Amino acid sequence: MLCLGIESTAHTFSCAIIEKKGKNGKILSDIRKIYRPPEGEGIHPREASRHHAENSPQVLSECLEKAGVKITELDLVSYAAGPGLGPCLRIGAVVARSLSSYYDIPVYPVNHALGHIELGKMLTGAKDPLVLLVSGGHTMILAFLGKKWRVFGETLDITLGQLLDQIGRHAGFASPCGTKIEELASKSSNYEPLPYVVKGNDVSFSGLLSATKRIIPKGLEAACFSLQETAFSMIGEAVERALSFTGKKEFLVVGGVAANKRLSEILQLICKRHNCKFFVSPKEYSGDCGSQISWVGLLESSKKTGVKLENTFVRQSWRLDTVEILY
Amino acid sequence: MTSYLVILRLIKKGAEADIYLTTWNGRKSILKIRKRKKYRNEILDNRIRTLRTIREAKMISEVKSFGVNTPLVYFVDQNKFEIYLQFVPGDLVRDLSNKMIIKICEKIGKILGTLHKNGIMHGDVTTSNFILTSNQLTILDFGLAQRTEKIEDHAIDLRLFKEVLNSAHVSIVNQAWSSFLSGYGKIVGASRKEKVISQVSDIEKRGRYANVV
Repeated sequence: MLCLGIESTAHTFSCAIIEKKGKNGKILSDIRKIYRPPEGEGIHPREASRHHAENSPQVLSECLEKAGVKITELDLVSYAAGPGLGPCLRIGAVVARSLSSYYDIPVYPVNHALGHIELGKMLTGAKDPLVLLVSGGHTMILAFLGKKWRVFGETLDITLGQLLDQIGRHAGFASPCGTKIEELASKSSNYEPLPYVVKGNDVSFSGLLSATKRIIPKGLEAACFSLQETAFSMIGEAVERALSFTGKKEFLVVGGVAANKRLSEILQLICKRHNCKFFVSPKEYSGDCGSQISWVGLLESSKKTGVKLENTFVRQSWRLDTVEILY
Repeated sequence: MTSYLVILRLIKKGAEADIYLTTWNGRKSILKIRKRKKYRNEILDNRIRTLRTIREAKMISEVKSFGVNTPLVYFVDQNKFEIYLQFVPGDLVRDLSNKMIIKICEKIGKILGTLHKNGIMHGDVTTSNFILTSNQLTILDFGLAQRTEKIEDHAIDLRLFKEVLNSAHVSIVNQAWSSFLSGYGKIVGASRKEKVISQVSDIEKRGRYANVV
């Protein structure tokens, strides 16, 4: 089975082809073009969607070429139907619809968050993990139970990715700023007290955001260090709570912020304490990419047929815990 | 207490603290130690552990005066982040049968109602923080508790419990939730209950990608 997956929820326009044999998947190609806003600014949905529209033909042909696959050989096409930015989502959906109707290929709308998790599981071999999804759009702790991914804890306001990006932009960097903040943080060990807000299994970052902005004038490196320490410890505590409550023996971290080494280190220490196997999605595939979407398309096609063209929706708000998993 | 042998047996590595079974002056006791977390920055870690140890000891004692069952506090060592608590035998509500959980949820609602009525939010209302001993229900773990009259804070307690039912007790979530609300309403009164419930749905709507757009 060959599936073309199209991702266009936010910064990234990506096409990927995965070949599925039995239960195994092999990524044949994964091509990305990432929209970069000007320094100090965030993503502008219109500009990002324009970027995606302009780059989509090139990304698609590169993807097919690298995989050595002709469009007519594809068994299905899947696209990220949400959650994400409306104008951006529509570009991916248009590409998917066009291919599907012109070449008569079954089409599958896929939940973007599910893509992160399923590709992470496929690449790491985790079977039944507690999952931490940390990206620009999500900060959620999830476990699979009774046909759905259930939320054990999440952010009550902004996500971890947004927190890092907003601090970075405030300091004048171009988003995504996670790497820059990590680099600056590693140069300091001077902890300035910042608000630490854990409510049950949930976390809240908005107060931390304002407080960090206030301490930036005292020194950017110390601010980045204190920000990372506080925010990651909050996540760590929420994860510990969920691990101890669910008793899961595997833990998987996915999403863009999973690439942060300090976060990874904290989570590894926690897993060690709870005798839990630690998995992290490979850096190359932790950010948004077509492979995530392609793999979910392949999994879903094992249980259901593609949707009719008129049902190829996009949905800006589409919570993962409302998706029923059949495979 | 160093003069005689104290047997310590680890019974649970919790998220926040390690729980040991031990004795205190000859009585069976639970020792709760908030150990240093190596992953946490030391300054931050000490701040959190001190705050929660003191808060827990204070809150447990205070809550007793409202007639809510909590373990007795035997001894607090602030410098070692240790609390000695009365040992309460019984089963965690989480591990009971579905039928029993539904029934007990009403009592949980009553206990939470009593706390809220007296201006205390618990902060960690899960089914593993209640122990059932024959007919008596005991509430544990006040490390995240706070003194607050705010509807928002009380609603956070309810939402957390709903989240726990939704994730860990999926098959009985509706019955358990309505049993909980009926108990809660009996204590705080119908009008306050409605206000808190409406705040809970406000909080849910704030959830990321909830169906509001």
